[in-house]
Amino acid sequence: MSLASCNPAVAAVCLLSAAGIAMFCMNPVILALSLCGAVCFSLLCGRAGEGRWHLFVALLFVATALVNPLVSHRGATVLLVVNHTPLTLESLLWGISAAAAVAAALCWFRAFSRLMTGDRLLWLFGRFSPRLSLVLSMAFRFVPLFGRQAKKIRQTQRALGALREDSAAGSFRGSARVFSVLLTWALENGIVTADSMAARGYGSGRRTQFSVFRFRRADGVLLALALLFFAGACIPLACGALDTVYYPRAALPRLTPAALTGYVSYGLLALLPAAAEGWEAIRWKCLRSSI
Amino acid sequence: MRTIESPRLRRLLRVLLPALVIPALVLGGALVLDEKRQMFTAFAVAVCAVLLFLAGIERRQIGARRMVLSAVMIALCVAGRLIPFFKPVTALTVLTALYLGGEAGFLVGALSALLSNFYFGQGPWTPFQMLAWGLIGLFAGLLARPLKKSRWLLLCYGLLSGVFFSLVMDVWTVLWYNGSFDAGLWLVAMGTALPHTVLYAASNFAFLWMLARPIGEKLERIRIKYGL
Repeated sequence: MSLASCNPAVAAVCLLSAAGIAMFCMNPVILALSLCGAVCFSLLCGRAGEGRWHLFVALLFVATALVNPLVSHRGATVLLVVNHTPLTLESLLWGISAAAAVAAALCWFRAFSRLMTGDRLLWLFGRFSPRLSLVLSMAFRFVPLFGRQAKKIRQTQRALGALREDSAAGSFRGSARVFSVLLTWALENGIVTADSMAARGYGSGRRTQFSVFRFRRADGVLLALALLFFAGACIPLACGALDTVYYPRAALPRLTPAALTGYVSYGLLALLPAAAEGWEAIRWKCLRSSI
Repeated sequence: MRTIESPRLRRLLRVLLPALVIPALVLGGALVLDEKRQMFTAFAVAVCAVLLFLAGIERRQIGARRMVLSAVMIALCVAGRLIPFFKPVTALTVLTALYLGGEAGFLVGALSALLSNFYFGQGPWTPFQMLAWGLIGLFAGLLARPLKKSRWLLLCYGLLSGVFFSLVMDVWTVLWYNGSFDAGLWLVAMGTALPHTVLYAASNFAFLWMLARPIGEKLERIRIKYGL
């Protein structure tokens, strides 16, 4: 059962819980696990053009890691002194951790936006807020519609000879004219849409929703696992068993049973999306080879 | 469910509830959590503020026409944001707020941030963008009368809102990176974001200068023609 094919609510819980803990915890072990899980997942369900994104994240990682020692001079261990300003080991370590947190969150949210396509997200929102999700889904549909309409208007204006595109000023004026026509059309069209919605009984009763997403047994298993691991990581985090000290001297928290539970649960939580994806790929290979 | 009849009481409640709930969250965050968790508080406040406003809009009976018009303006904002160096979101949000009211302004600002991030990438910055743009719209709606009257005031509002948006996003960048607020890092973030800030402010100014009259006329016409 990969996250792309399971119930949207389950996919959202899996990804947001993994991303959320990594955003609010500066423990280096947790951050390393988070980054590892996120990168594994994005490599497993990767497509073409992924290399550039990973390069961008790597560059951002290096840049954000180096900002902190240049700005903050807290910490007891001085590495070197440049122009009478000390560069400390602790602020470098903090910079690396913060950079890992940022990079991991970027990877998680990229995975989130790739998995939660418009329809899945609207299904999720629509449960809580039918009106807003209706506005959102209409706006979603208007974006390409307006693009097409702008093209039509441009062609008509050109055919009428009203568009002069021989100079920069002329083409700018032409674009402004197309935009103006488009806006009038869009507003009038919106009113017509609204009136026909009202004529068909919009707002006269409770709104029902059509849904293609079902909650299957595999979804239940995945959700239960995610919630279990999330709780297992959250409780030690809330108790302070994972709190890391950076200043004045960096020190990892002691490896108590609570901390160990936190690490193991978070590791499983972070690797859950990648594991689900890998499991699906292996099953697919087996099925194909048995044909 | 019982509804509150008096419009004055309702208006008071609508201002008081966010004004009490959100400071309570901030105080709670400051007292219960330590300094390194300021980011958590900031994030929770942003999410709650956006949800509160949106819930207020959800509860109220907005007509279908106003809803569809908001969707039209959101789509125009998103389509505009897809063009490079072309940042009409603030200008369109402000104009919507002036002619369709502050709530429509909040809706257009917040949802165009949400929707355009489907194209640019969602992230923990989404609630802050939603809040910043939503508030720009809300305040424009509250100040509608003077802003409609004086063009220079409107242009100043555009400039200031560009700067406001950039400052909010820089505060969030620092909180995300550092866990707590740090003035030195904030200066660095503002320095690196300076070209963007200038671009935002200048493009708000330019777009309001160019668009205020034509779009205002169109929105006003729709409003009079259909009696919104």
